[in-house]
Amino acid sequence: MAERTHIPPGWDYNPATWAQRIPIVILALVGFGIATYLSLYQLDYVDTVWEPFFGDGSTTILNSKISHILPIPDAALGAIGYLVDAVAGLIGGTHRWRKMPWIVIVFGLAVGPLGFISVMLVVFQPVLFSAWCTLCLASAIISIVMIGPAMDEMLASLQYIQRAKRSEASTWKVFWGIGDETEKVA
Amino acid sequence: MWAKLMNIVLGIWLMAAPSVLEYGPAASDNGHIVGPIIVTFSTIALWESTYIVQKWNYPFALWLLLSPWVLGYEVATASMSDMAVGMMVLVLSSRKTGMKNRYGGGWSSLWEKNPKHMEDQRDNESEAERREGF
Repeated sequence: MAERTHIPPGWDYNPATWAQRIPIVILALVGFGIATYLSLYQLDYVDTVWEPFFGDGSTTILNSKISHILPIPDAALGAIGYLVDAVAGLIGGTHRWRKMPWIVIVFGLAVGPLGFISVMLVVFQPVLFSAWCTLCLASAIISIVMIGPAMDEMLASLQYIQRAKRSEASTWKVFWGIGDETEKVA
Repeated sequence: MWAKLMNIVLGIWLMAAPSVLEYGPAASDNGHIVGPIIVTFSTIALWESTYIVQKWNYPFALWLLLSPWVLGYEVATASMSDMAVGMMVLVLSSRKTGMKNRYGGGWSSLWEKNPKHMEDQRDNESEAERREGF
């Protein structure tokens, strides 16, 4: 039964269906668009930045010392992160929680910490610079919204690895989805 | 569901209140830090598989009850608002949610001796064996 529908044991639905994953990928692509636009401003390819609510808030935030603390501006880092989310969300079929646990784990870690970093950036903005940035907030909201729906798939993979550990199968091979190793685990 | 949405609104209020009610610097910084954290945890908790994250609000809600004294708020409305928000978030985050789906025992199954997803697996196998005539 689980073989045909790919529903994990003890679950009521398959967390790796496209209906589950596509909305997260779309959110990641929107986030990628916003972050790319902001990094074009930070890299001086665009002269002004769109800011409907907080006056010169965006300019203050996007030109702050913290945003240029790394070799590449922080928005570019965010854009790379969103791209990793989108790609990791697309790789693998609807049984990837057991056929390719590694990509599910990469996906979960990329979505989780990235969301957290975005929140931290929002937190630091008003405290350090007394300014808000509309598009930075929008990006943070997108990151936060992605976390919840991505985690169920990660849970299914972790439970699967847990079952692999207690079976005769090699956990290492199961994690990377090598050969027929996954057939030995339920 | 509504309890988590209420928590999100309360978190946004924590972020906005310092400018709306003209708090002093300590209360402002506190709201700007704790607000986004409560919004984040409550948003993640909207999904069934991660509803447990609402409990992560507890320490921050408790901190809101204490912070007017610890940080010495200058504005009385800041103290009242933060304590009221802290109380409400504490109560709302402790609400039990009815689960629509099962998750193989959830996150706690990962450190259980007999996790739910393994029991179900054995049940499935024996059922399949019965059907195949073993």
